Amino acid sequence: MLAFLYFSLRRAWQGFWRNAVMSLAATATMVLMLLLLAGFWIIQTGLLAGLQFTEQKVQVVAYLQPNATETQINELAAEIQQRSDVESVDVVTRDKALERFRESMKAQGRTDLTEQLDSNPLYASVEVKLKDAAALRAVTESLAPEQHPIVRNVINIQDLVERLLTVTNILRTVGTGILIGVGLIALFIIVNAIRLAVVARSEEIEIMRLVGASDAFIRWPFVFEGAFVGFLGAVITLAILAGAAEPLNGFMVDFFRVLPLQIGSMTRDLVTLVMGAGVGLGVLGSWVSVRTYLIR
Amino acid sequence: MVPAAVPADGVEPKASRGDTDRHIFPTAESPVTIASAPPSAARSLRRRILERGRDQAVPDRAVLVLHDVTKQYPNGKIALRDVDLVIPEGDFVFLVGPSGAGKSTLIKLLIRDEVTTRGEVVLDGQDLARLPRRQVPRMRRKIGIIFQDFKLLPTKTVWENVAFALEVTGHPRRQIRPAVDRVLAIVGLTAQAKQIPAQLSGGEQQRTAIARALVHDPRLIIADEPTGNLDPLISWEILQLLLRINELGVTVLMATHNAEVVTALRKRVVALEEGRIIRDEVGGAYHRED
Repeated sequence: MLAFLYFSLRRAWQGFWRNAVMSLAATATMVLMLLLLAGFWIIQTGLLAGLQFTEQKVQVVAYLQPNATETQINELAAEIQQRSDVESVDVVTRDKALERFRESMKAQGRTDLTEQLDSNPLYASVEVKLKDAAALRAVTESLAPEQHPIVRNVINIQDLVERLLTVTNILRTVGTGILIGVGLIALFIIVNAIRLAVVARSEEIEIMRLVGASDAFIRWPFVFEGAFVGFLGAVITLAILAGAAEPLNGFMVDFFRVLPLQIGSMTRDLVTLVMGAGVGLGVLGSWVSVRTYLIR
Repeated sequence: MVPAAVPADGVEPKASRGDTDRHIFPTAESPVTIASAPPSAARSLRRRILERGRDQAVPDRAVLVLHDVTKQYPNGKIALRDVDLVIPEGDFVFLVGPSGAGKSTLIKLLIRDEVTTRGEVVLDGQDLARLPRRQVPRMRRKIGIIFQDFKLLPTKTVWENVAFALEVTGHPRRQIRPAVDRVLAIVGLTAQAKQIPAQLSGGEQQRTAIARALVHDPRLIIADEPTGNLDPLISWEILQLLLRINELGVTVLMATHNAEVVTALRKRVVALEEGRIIRDEVGGAYHRED
C-alpha cells in the first residue's frame, strides 16, 4: 500500500513535469476558473452581507402620546421586550429626541432653529429592533394604537421592508444558481484541460494496459496529478486574491457604503471554497479523463 | 523455465490417446492433452516432459484454445467466423493471411481488448469472456505482446522501458533490478541499457520491446508483425531471438506477412482468410503448396 502510494505520487510528480506545457496550461485554466468562481462568490457574499446589514437596521418606531407617563412607557417597553422576535427595545424620551434632532442638524451643518421654540415639539417614542425583518408586520400590529392607547402612531415601512426582503431572497436564489452555473462551467473547462494532458499520454496508458497494470495503477497517478494541478491552481488563485484584497476591500466599502464585512470569516470561507473547488475539480477531471481509457 | 501446468481442478483429462484431430476441442473440464495436440507440438511437449523427469510427467494443458469463435463488431462487420484453434504449450505458430483477414481481431480477443460474440477463448485454462474485469490485468501478465511499431516510451531508457512493465504491476524494486538485467541479457541489450529509444536501431528497439514482453515470465508471446518495420537482415535477427525464447519454453504466436521467413522455418502455419481458418498445417509454407 505504501509502495503503491509512493509509486503513484512519484509518477504524478514526474507526469506533471514531463508534460510541463500541458500541465501548466491546465493549471492556468484552473486559476482563471477559480478566480471567476471566487469573484462571483465575493460579490454574492458582499451583496448579501449588505442587505443583511440593512435588514438589521429595520426597526419599528412607535410614537407615543404626549401625555403618556413614564410608568406607562416602561410597561409598554417591557411588554414588547418579552416577544421572541424582538432583539431590543429603546425608549426615546422627548428630551432625548430633541437632543438627537439637534445633533443631526449640527452634523449636517444646518442652523438649529429649535432654540427659538419655548417648548419641545417632539414626541417620545419606543424603538424596537427586530431579530428578523420578517417579524415586522407582527410587531407593528402589536404596537397599534388600538392595543395601546398611549401609542399615537406607528410608522409604516411595511412595503419598503417587504421589497427589501424580496430582493434579498431573489439575490440569494439567483446568486446560488449563478454560482452553481459558474461552477459547472468551470468543471467542464477544467475537465477538458486535464483531458488534454491525459490524452497526450494515451500511449503510456496503452502500454500500461498491455503489460497488465491494474486500473488502480493507471488511475491514481493521474488522479494525484489532477489534485496537484488543482492545489497549485488554488494556491496561485489565493495569492492573486490576497494581492487584490486591499483594493477590493476599498471597492466593496465604497460600493456598498460602510458595511461591516467580516473579512476574517470571509477569508476562511474563501480559502475553503477555492482549495476545495481546485483540488476537487482536479481530482474529478482526472478521474473522468482516465475513465475513458479504462472502460474498454 | 516454465513450470508444468497442472489442471487446477485436478481432474484427469478424458481425451483419448492417438486422437490428433484438431477439431476435437477440449473444454474447461477436460483440458487438451499432448495426444490431442498437433504432432510436432506433442513431440516437443513429450520431450520437455521427459526432460523434467518422470514425477513431473503430468498432462499439459494447451496454453490457448479457441472454440467456435465468432466476432462481429457493432457496425455489423464479421471479423472472425467459427474459428477453432488449439495452441499447446511450447508451440511456435505463424498466423498468416491478407490484411483484413482477422489477424488483428484474433489478437485483440487474446488480450481481451475485445470479447467474442460467440464461442470461447480459453487462455491458460481461463475463459476470457467470463473473466471478471478486475482479473483482466493479471491475465494479461501471462501474455507478452510485441508490436510492429515497438510501442516504447521515448523519454525512458531501455532499462526503464523494461522496468516500467514491472513497476506498473506493483513489483518491489528489489525484484525489478535482477529481472530487468536478466531479460536484457537474453535479448543482448545489456550494453545499451542506458540509451533512449531514439539512439537505438530498429532492431534494438524491437529487442527492447521483446525484453519488456518477457519480463513477466509470460506463458505466451504474441508478436503482431514484429518484423514489419525492419529490413530483412534485422528481421532474421528478431526471428532468431523469438525462436530462442521459444526454445526456453515460451509459446510464441506470430502474425506476419513475411512469406520468406514463414516458408523457410517450416513451423506450424495458421492461415486466416475472411475471418476463417483456411489452413492449419505443421511445417507449412506461407502460401498453399498444393
